[in-house]
Amino acid sequence: MESVFSQLCVLGSSLVLIFGLILLWRRGVTAYINAFLWQSTVLSGVTATVGYFGHDPELYWVAGGLFLLKGVAIPRLLRRMERRFAAERELEPYVNTATSLVVSGLLVLFGYAITRPLVALSQLPTRAGMPLAMGLVLVSLFVVLSRKKALTQVIGFLMLENGLALLAVLGTYGIPLIVELGVFLDVLMGFLVMQIFIYQIHETFESIDVEQLNRLRH
Amino acid sequence: MSVFSLLLGPPLASALLAVAVTPYRRFVGWANALLSLLSLGASVALWGHILAGDVPTSGPGEFLRADALSTLLALCVSVVGALAAWLGPGVGGDDGYDGAQARRFRIFGNLFVFTMLFAVTSNNVGFMWIAIEATTITSALLIPLHVTKASVEASWKYILIGSVGIALAFGGTVLSYFDFVNLAGHREGALNWTVLMASASRLHPQVIQLAFVFILVGYGTKAGLAPMHTWLPDAHSEAPAPLSAMMSGVLLAVALYAVIRWEAVANAAVGTRFTDGLFIALGILSLVIGAFSLVIQRNYKRMLAYSSIEHTGLICVGLALGPLGTFAAMLHLLNHTLAKSMMFFLAGRVLQRYRTTEIGRVSGLLTVMPWTGRLFAAGVLAVVGLPPFGLFISEFALFRAGFAAGRPWLMGLVLVLLVVAFVSMIGHLNRMLYGAPAPGVTVGEGNGWPLVPLGVCAAALVVLGLTLPAPLQELLAGIVEIAGR
Repeated sequence: MESVFSQLCVLGSSLVLIFGLILLWRRGVTAYINAFLWQSTVLSGVTATVGYFGHDPELYWVAGGLFLLKGVAIPRLLRRMERRFAAERELEPYVNTATSLVVSGLLVLFGYAITRPLVALSQLPTRAGMPLAMGLVLVSLFVVLSRKKALTQVIGFLMLENGLALLAVLGTYGIPLIVELGVFLDVLMGFLVMQIFIYQIHETFESIDVEQLNRLRH
Repeated sequence: MSVFSLLLGPPLASALLAVAVTPYRRFVGWANALLSLLSLGASVALWGHILAGDVPTSGPGEFLRADALSTLLALCVSVVGALAAWLGPGVGGDDGYDGAQARRFRIFGNLFVFTMLFAVTSNNVGFMWIAIEATTITSALLIPLHVTKASVEASWKYILIGSVGIALAFGGTVLSYFDFVNLAGHREGALNWTVLMASASRLHPQVIQLAFVFILVGYGTKAGLAPMHTWLPDAHSEAPAPLSAMMSGVLLAVALYAVIRWEAVANAAVGTRFTDGLFIALGILSLVIGAFSLVIQRNYKRMLAYSSIEHTGLICVGLALGPLGTFAAMLHLLNHTLAKSMMFFLAGRVLQRYRTTEIGRVSGLLTVMPWTGRLFAAGVLAVVGLPPFGLFISEFALFRAGFAAGRPWLMGLVLVLLVVAFVSMIGHLNRMLYGAPAPGVTVGEGNGWPLVPLGVCAAALVVLGLTLPAPLQELLAGIVEIAGR
C-alpha cells in the first residue's frame, strides 16, 4: 500500500514539474495556459491522494479549492486576457530555448541538492517528491526572470506558487486549513490585481511587452 | 473592548466607511483622521502593558499577541498611519486629487495600515505571511493613483517582484513547518511563533538554515535589501506622497519585523553565527548600492528611496552585532520611520509646487517655501546622521556595538559608505535649497497646517537625539531578548 502511495506521489510530482518545463520550449501563450491548467489539476490530484492515503480528510477541501481556483477560475481569466491580446504572440525570450533547458536541468539538480537534508529527515512515504517540487520552484523563478511578456511572468509566478503548494503537501501533509484558506485568498487577490495592471499596461503602453517598461532608471 | 480591537478596528472601519460612502465626501477623510488616533492610542496602551510586564494576547489559541517587538512596530505603523490619514488626499484643500482618487486612497490606504498592524500582532507565522503578502496587494493598487507610464511601470515591477519574493518567504515558512512537524507531529497552533520558539532549539539545523535563507530572501525583498531591491526606488518615487511615507517609513520595517521573528527561531536552532553572516553580507551590499546610487541621483524622491535602502542595510548590519547592535538597530528603525515618513510628505509638498522631481529644477526652496524648506533641510541632516537628531545617536550606538563585537574593519567600511551617502545627499540638498526660485513657481508657503504634524516629527527626532527615555529603553531591551541575543 505504502509503495503504491509513494509511487503515485512521485509520478504526480514529476508531472507537475514537466508541465512547468513546457514554458521553456513552447512559444504561445495558449500552450502556457493549458500547461498551467493541467499542472494545477494534477496538483489537486496529488493533494487528494495524500488526503486519501494519509487519512487526512481536510486535504480533500484543499484539493477541491486548488482545483476550482487554479484549475478552473484562473485559467478562464487568463484565456480572456489572452483573447484580448491575441495580436501579441510571445517573442523571443531573453534566454534562448536550448540555454533555458540546460539552466532548468541544473536548477532541478540544485533542487535535489538543497532538499537532501529534508528527504533524509522525513519518514513520510511522500518524501521522494519533495526535490521535484523544489525544482519547480526554482525553474518558475527562472521563467519569471527570463520572459518578456507580462502574461508569461504571471503564469511563471502562479507555477511558483504551485511548486510551494506541492512542497507543503508532500512534506507535511499540508499546512493548517485555515492558513491554507488565507493563502488561497491572497493568490486570488494578487492575481486579480496583476490582471488589472496588465490591462493598465496594455492601455498605457499599447503592448504587454515588459521591455517597454524601462523608463525608470537610477 | 480589548486593546487589539482598538488597534485593528479603526483602519478597518475607515476603509469600510470609504467603501460605503460613494461618491467620496470630505467627512470620510476626517472620520478616518480621527479614528487613526484611536489606533495610535491603542498602540501606546500596548506599550503600557509591556512596561507593566505583561504580554497582551487575544483570541483562541493566542491568535493575536503583542510582545515588545510587536509593540514597537505597532507604534511605528500607527504613527505613520495617522500622519497619512491627516495629510492624505481628501482632507485638506486642493492637493491635486479628485474625489474618486481620494476614495481609493481611503479604502486601500486603510487596508494597507490594517494588514501591517495585523502582520505585527499575529502570533501565527502563517497569518503573518498572509498579511505581509496582502500589504503588497493593497499598496500596489495605490501607486498608480495618478495613472502615468512611470507609475504603471513602477506598480507592475512592485507587484511582480514583491509577490515572487514573498512567495519564497512562504517556502521558508513551509520548510520550517516541515521541520516542526517532523519533530513534534501535527499539533494545534504549530505555526504559532510561541509554539515554534518553545521547540526551536531541537529543530533540525540544516533544514532551518535552508528555511531561513528562503525567509531572508523573501521578506528581504520587501524590506528592500539588495540585490532584491530593484522595485523599491521606482515604487517609492512614483507612489503618491502619503503612500511613499508609509512604504518607506513602515512597510520596510514590517518586513524586517518578520525577519527578526524568524531570526529568533534560527538563532535558537543553529546559533547566531549563521544569521550574523547573512545579515552582514546583505546589509553591506545594500549599503554599497544605496550609497553609490545616491551619488548619481538626479531625482529627489529616488534619492530618499535609495537612502531607505541604505538605512535598511544599516539596520541589518546592526542585527548582526550582538545585543548592543540589535538594540541600536531597533532604535535606528524607530528614528528612520519618523525621519523618512516626514521626508516623503515634505517631498510631496515640494513636488506639488515645483511639478518636477528633478533636483536640478528645484531651486530656491528656502525662498519659495521657507518652512517646508527648513524642515526638508532638517530632515536631510537627520537622515545623514548629524546631531542633534536621533539617527546620529542610533548610528553612534551601532558603531560602538560593532567595535565591542570585535569587528573594526566592518565598521570602517560602514563608516566610509555612510560618508559617501552624507556627502552626496548634502550636495543635492544645497542645490535644492539655495539659488533663485525656479521660473513660474509661486512664492509663499500656501496651505501651512500640514507642517504642524511634520514639525512634531522633527521635534521628536531632536528629543530622541538628546535623550533616550526610560520607557523606550525598556521596550528596546525587551526586543533584544526576543531576537535571541
